[in-house]
Amino acid sequence: MPRFDIPARIIEQTQLVHGIFLLTVKAPAIQDSAKPGQFCMLEVKYNHSRDPLLRRPLSIYKTRANGQISFFYKEVGKGTRLLSKRRPGEIVRVLGPLGQGFRLIYDHPCILVGGGLGIASLLLLAERLKQSGKLIILLGAGNASGIPTIEDFSRLTQNFHVATEDGGLGQKGMVTDLLAQTLREITGMAQIYTCGPWPMMKAVYYMARKRNIPCQVSLEAAMACGLGLCLGCAVPKSDSQGFLHVCQEGPVFDADQVHWEYSQ
Amino acid sequence: MITKSPNLSINIGSLILKNPVLLASGTCGYGAELNDLLDLEQLGGIIVKGISIRPRPGNPPPRLVETPCGLLNSIGLENVGIDIFLRDKLPWLRKVKTSLIINVLGESVEEYAKIAKKLDRAEGVNAIEVNISCPNVKAGGIAFGTDPEAAANVTYAVKKATGLPVTIKLSPNVTDITEVAREVASAGADAISLINTLLGMAIDIKSRRPALGNVFGGLSGPAIKPIALRMVWQVVRAVDIPVIGIGGISTPDDALEFLMAGAKAVEIGTATLVRPDTAEDVLAGIRDYMEANSIQNIEDLRLPE
Repeated sequence: MPRFDIPARIIEQTQLVHGIFLLTVKAPAIQDSAKPGQFCMLEVKYNHSRDPLLRRPLSIYKTRANGQISFFYKEVGKGTRLLSKRRPGEIVRVLGPLGQGFRLIYDHPCILVGGGLGIASLLLLAERLKQSGKLIILLGAGNASGIPTIEDFSRLTQNFHVATEDGGLGQKGMVTDLLAQTLREITGMAQIYTCGPWPMMKAVYYMARKRNIPCQVSLEAAMACGLGLCLGCAVPKSDSQGFLHVCQEGPVFDADQVHWEYSQ
Repeated sequence: MITKSPNLSINIGSLILKNPVLLASGTCGYGAELNDLLDLEQLGGIIVKGISIRPRPGNPPPRLVETPCGLLNSIGLENVGIDIFLRDKLPWLRKVKTSLIINVLGESVEEYAKIAKKLDRAEGVNAIEVNISCPNVKAGGIAFGTDPEAAANVTYAVKKATGLPVTIKLSPNVTDITEVAREVASAGADAISLINTLLGMAIDIKSRRPALGNVFGGLSGPAIKPIALRMVWQVVRAVDIPVIGIGGISTPDDALEFLMAGAKAVEIGTATLVRPDTAEDVLAGIRDYMEANSIQNIEDLRLPE
């Protein structure tokens, strides 16, 4: 799989709602080989500054045939704050596409379960799975502003449902409530894909396991290189025999491989 | 004016390196992870991730914390073990036309000797770097690096077990690094590599817990460069064997400072994690500096006493 570390020109930097941004850069080589679930490491420092030292891993949210790729991210610390200050025309170094993405299953109904920022890794997957028999998208957030790009998803399928904890958008409650309803209506085989906060993914996995439905999860972890060099992004394996490395073997794993009772 | 291209090759004991820029252990995997983003064959050598007798799973996460101009890690020497290394990693590595240096670690003097003996018979291995300085494991590692006598014992045992050139990687977490340096030099080391990471920690004030799973970790990156440079300067003047400088080198200027301090070679570590082709950039910059200043031999960079 080809990977590139290239200076990419910023095309667009939009604050969608307070603290959540959509960044679009021109990086044709990366766009050309990007697969759903893969990520890039973005340089956030200015020029020769050494602080922050590390790049930031961001899921590839969207790609366009004209060589553009977009990242959907939240300002959570110094690095993402600096990134959010970058303006169109400026250059950021982007390394990617990295990691193992989602394995696409076309034979069964596919259920995508996204929570909060986790939706960032699910859009490309949803677009790719649109051709499959049945695509179900379930998204959840604390309130409506947590899902500012809802139309990107809702246009892809009739089977689109949202839950917010404050009830401001869609059903009041958790995205796992939506999943429980969906699973009641599905009788045969299915495939679940999920990305979101750890407790949500854990709940999704246990629901899937109860029904013997395979579940792929996209994990996140603090990362230094994104390339499998430092082994810093370790997550315990379900059999307690060592660790998974999110950047290299992941970020997408079969949920069975992950030690869900472990919490950092 | 006729200018010859500068000579960058150096000797470390019987090992000849085509140039002084090496990739540091623990930041370049087993080489293959990086191969498409960096031309390994341009470099003086590659020092692969520390290898132990048995596979090690490493420390519980979180393993990384970013600090101002630095990185704290507590990976815990996760590695595949010598047997899997020889079977699965070495065949690819030996095809790469650069010097291959294997970083090794043990929990006892006997383990260090055993692993050195296995490498002695392995085709394609050019030298051994002995890690007596990892701050992230309880047994072994730093226990040998902070006790001059234990450091000498490991050096002696490894030298006895192999005919390969041996460099000992020292810990900065000591009161007087020249004391350990002198001991390993008199025990027969061919070279000394320094520094490994500095012991540090961070606390997560939200969760009110230490930020690393292992509580303490090793600090690397630009933040430690002045300390590393000072220690290299001291060790160069304390021993007669070659010194390999490590610690926060991210630019050609950084590397030139270490070479001027008297290091024969340099290792690029954390900077590779930030930008995979840093070592190529450092090498090109050293060459440019030598050409611009009409310096013919790399060793002429060393400052006069």
